[in-house]
Amino acid sequence: MSLEEPDDPLATRDVGVTEEGVDYDALADLLGDTVIDRESHVNAEGFVVRPDEVQDALFALRDEAGFDHCACVTAQDYDDRYESIYHLRKYDDPTQEVSVVVPSPKSDPVSQTAEPVYRTADWHEREAYDLVGIDYEGHPDMRRILLPETWQGHPLSQDFSGEEPQVVTLREHANPLADDKRSEDDPDTMFINIGPHHPATHGVLHVETVLDGEQIAHVEPDIGYLHRCEEQMCQQGTYRHQIMPYPDRWDYVSAGILNEWAYARAAEDLADIEVPEYAQVIRTMSAEMSRIAAHMLALGTFALDVFGDFTAVFQYAFRDREVVQDLLEDLTGQRLMFNYLRLGGVAWDLPEPREEFFEKTRDFLDDMPEKLKEYHNLVTSNEIFQMRCVDTGILPPEEAKQYGATGPVARGSGIDYDLRRDDPYGYYSELDWDVVTEDGCDNYARVLCRMQEVEQSARIIEQCVDLLEDWPEDERDIQANVPRTLRPDPDTEIYRAVEAAKGELGIYIRSDGTDKPARFKIRSPCFSNLQTLPVMSEGEFVPDMIASLGSLDIVLGEVDR
Amino acid sequence: MIPLQSNSETPFPSIIADLLGLDASEPAVLIVLSVVAAGVIATVLLTMTAVLGIWGKRKITAAFTDRIAVNRHGPYGLLIIPADAVRLLSKELIVPSEVDRPAWDLAPLIIASSALLGFAVIPFGHGLQLADPEIGLAYVFAVASIASLGLLMAGYASNNKFSFLGGLRAVAQNLAYEIPLVITGASVVIFAGSLRMSTIVEVQQQTLVSLGGIAIPSWFAFVNPFAFALFLIANLAEVGRNPFDIPEAPTEIVAGYQTEYSSVYFVLIYLGEFIHIFLGGAIIATIFLGGASGPVLPGVVWFFIKMISVYLFTQWARSAVPRVRVDQLIQIGWKGMLVLSFANLVLTAVIVGVAAA
Amino acid sequence: MIGILKSMATTMKHALDGETFTVEYPETEPEVSPRFRGVHKFSQERCIWCRQCENVCPNNTIQIVTDDQRNGEQYNLHIGQCIYCRLCEEVCPVDAILLTQNFEWTADTKDEFVLDKEQLKNVPWYKDIDPLESREPDRGAWIGEGEGELDYQ
Repeated sequence: MSLEEPDDPLATRDVGVTEEGVDYDALADLLGDTVIDRESHVNAEGFVVRPDEVQDALFALRDEAGFDHCACVTAQDYDDRYESIYHLRKYDDPTQEVSVVVPSPKSDPVSQTAEPVYRTADWHEREAYDLVGIDYEGHPDMRRILLPETWQGHPLSQDFSGEEPQVVTLREHANPLADDKRSEDDPDTMFINIGPHHPATHGVLHVETVLDGEQIAHVEPDIGYLHRCEEQMCQQGTYRHQIMPYPDRWDYVSAGILNEWAYARAAEDLADIEVPEYAQVIRTMSAEMSRIAAHMLALGTFALDVFGDFTAVFQYAFRDREVVQDLLEDLTGQRLMFNYLRLGGVAWDLPEPREEFFEKTRDFLDDMPEKLKEYHNLVTSNEIFQMRCVDTGILPPEEAKQYGATGPVARGSGIDYDLRRDDPYGYYSELDWDVVTEDGCDNYARVLCRMQEVEQSARIIEQCVDLLEDWPEDERDIQANVPRTLRPDPDTEIYRAVEAAKGELGIYIRSDGTDKPARFKIRSPCFSNLQTLPVMSEGEFVPDMIASLGSLDIVLGEVDR
Repeated sequence: MIPLQSNSETPFPSIIADLLGLDASEPAVLIVLSVVAAGVIATVLLTMTAVLGIWGKRKITAAFTDRIAVNRHGPYGLLIIPADAVRLLSKELIVPSEVDRPAWDLAPLIIASSALLGFAVIPFGHGLQLADPEIGLAYVFAVASIASLGLLMAGYASNNKFSFLGGLRAVAQNLAYEIPLVITGASVVIFAGSLRMSTIVEVQQQTLVSLGGIAIPSWFAFVNPFAFALFLIANLAEVGRNPFDIPEAPTEIVAGYQTEYSSVYFVLIYLGEFIHIFLGGAIIATIFLGGASGPVLPGVVWFFIKMISVYLFTQWARSAVPRVRVDQLIQIGWKGMLVLSFANLVLTAVIVGVAAA
Repeated sequence: MIGILKSMATTMKHALDGETFTVEYPETEPEVSPRFRGVHKFSQERCIWCRQCENVCPNNTIQIVTDDQRNGEQYNLHIGQCIYCRLCEEVCPVDAILLTQNFEWTADTKDEFVLDKEQLKNVPWYKDIDPLESREPDRGAWIGEGEGELDYQ
């Protein structure tokens, strides 16, 4: 995007775009009187907006300045006010960021909803309401999302008492057999609960489905069965050590190092820690190994959903994932819960003897094309598979952007968005690799996208291995000098994201001068991606919905956190 | 050696009568001997189901998926069969509230028995055939499709929406594939000129062509491979195996019509499914693969080899072919299979007519 | 149709080659990496009761009881609650707590997973390998050390 093409219809959407980045003064002019104050976050400037003018500000930023990606909504409770922060960025250039900060009074925490501007704000605001207690005016469906409907109080607000007994009655749960019809004029529909105990919901997801015959009239994912208070746990851990083991447990299907990197990146930028280059290469390599493992699992489970049994494809994918897992075990000491990254570096250098590790990795990479060919023979070239996946679960790019979809889900819809390239971190910018996009927008495109990303990851690992092999022995610094107790300056706020296996995994941290974060918010890619399920599956058949769910590749541990 | 075919209407009971020196023309004796013979055949089939359904299936799936599978229970893990039987039968029979009781109880029995009934006219070779009526083939198709009724009853009576969907899917699928199946079977009847199973087998013993001294018999699979392929595919759908396992579809509708069944009822349904596959295999062996004929080995062994090969084929398809969607299934059935099977019928009729002329 | 046949050929190839990727555990003991993190081992001879491991533990798995002179009395660790992050080993200045490669541990009740210092001392090495040697070659391995009677101060 540049200013040189005034006739371009998009030209009206680049207010504040300059060569050096975002010109926040121009944005302030654009927003005019709606801005009552300015804040400075580490990643971007924040505009403080009155709670009844949120939509005006967001519409202006979306339509005039081109901030089309509402990455995350963070809510928090200060001593004197509640606050919602909308972290906006652009799909074209995610380094252009802006935060819209909306304070609301302690006595009456009401704020205008952003749902008409960004559809993704629907679930994010419900979560903010659920955990912090801010009420969003005009929100179409202001219910709890993670906690049970009968929960008393809002656990992340300051006046919440964990001591009070909670009553979660079974009586409150809807009887699925009681009422079959969702509307009087459509008497032929049937309400059915798919999940939380269902073979194809990838964990404990509950999909409330209304069927018209075999076709889906309405579908609504109900989440929260695996809510483990991950944000609260991180708020009780110290920056230096205690938070790092937990990211492994968000997206627990072996994408651990990618998750750890999300936290490491946010905390390192917050505390201004420089990571040695050697450690960055190791991080890049191990992160891509994690990505291969995660994508293999995604492929296996997707095939499981479409093929219908625990049969060959699933087992082959697991067999190949096992090889990566062994490599990661050699490197990190654990197969799933790695806890390998540290602030300022990694925990260990490559295992001795290094040659053996390189050889193993090379063998794995050499076998890769053969194995991918096998998957193409077995899965993607199969006509029945194509019948099932092509043109089902359509997610148009505009809808994907509205819902904040990222990762292979967005790239399968032709959105060229990959934080590894667009918002470079680690060693990615030095390496030679491509961002994979597919224009199919359907289940097939998403699967193809993942399979090609595995190839790209293999390319990255190969280059990293070459680099590591020739790295001079006296420059192998795996850790920067980081103080034993880390106390970032008070009231520093940061939102930083990395490209995890499922998409943009962002972390928001606000420090309060102690060695523990005052607010730790996880922007989970699966959470946003899952919101697109109704778009994909309404009007299609139950099997297509199951396939779409599989192609979204959600991990409920990350959705519910 | 006992001849491959027997001309009696009730060959197997007559054979027993001869062995025991009894008079088979006495009705009372015949009834008793028929029951005995039926018991022998059923026992053989149930044993086969136990071996192939419990142990064989695991081993086969494991081979396709590079695993080891059962190997701790006795030699080659074979003792898993009694272990599993005890496990399944000793489980609690859970009867969900508000199930439609007589129908819910009857459904597993119907599913299991309809498949068994079909074996009454299957010639295993050497006269091992319970009965050889003139309408043998029609009878087999008729009783095998009673299973659909059982599936619908199971689905409808379970008071469970997944079961309900599964039951409806089962009926839709059986309707769509029964017709191509029967019509393809009819093309064989045109060739053979009889519905009697023993005659169909007999016709296939003639030599089709002689290649370098090896006489290739005129098995209908060789005479009309197109009909054979059609029948094989329609049979996959008929027995509800991949890619047509729509009525169960574990990842979509949990377990379809059998979702609510446990313990003994589950065993019956499971048994019924396997016997149904074997019945499908037996029909294919009889009408396409020359029944109990083959070199060197005795005929009955050949018959079982052919029957089990069809079972292996279903397992092979299961490992590699994705399940089709329910609307695609119906489309394939009505727009593809039905048209092709009629075309095949006309083609066969023309060929037979020309050959006769 | 070609695609379906190709799929079926692929699985048949696997069925016929007779290779398996699963192993017969426990007859075939898996090779675990030297860095693998299993059940802890504790050496009272080395411990200086500095409580760093207790403080760093992310979920309060380690409980240390000392008397008023800061002499150690108890060292309890709940291996069922532990998340095996190895931070205790990492912060320990004297390598008194160490994660062995031993991943084989069963008990009838959860309570039996609470190990005191005696039980922690007797945790067996997996295949008699001291992982410290390969993890941190410059630190002294302590296999074989402290096999005799304990000297309680």
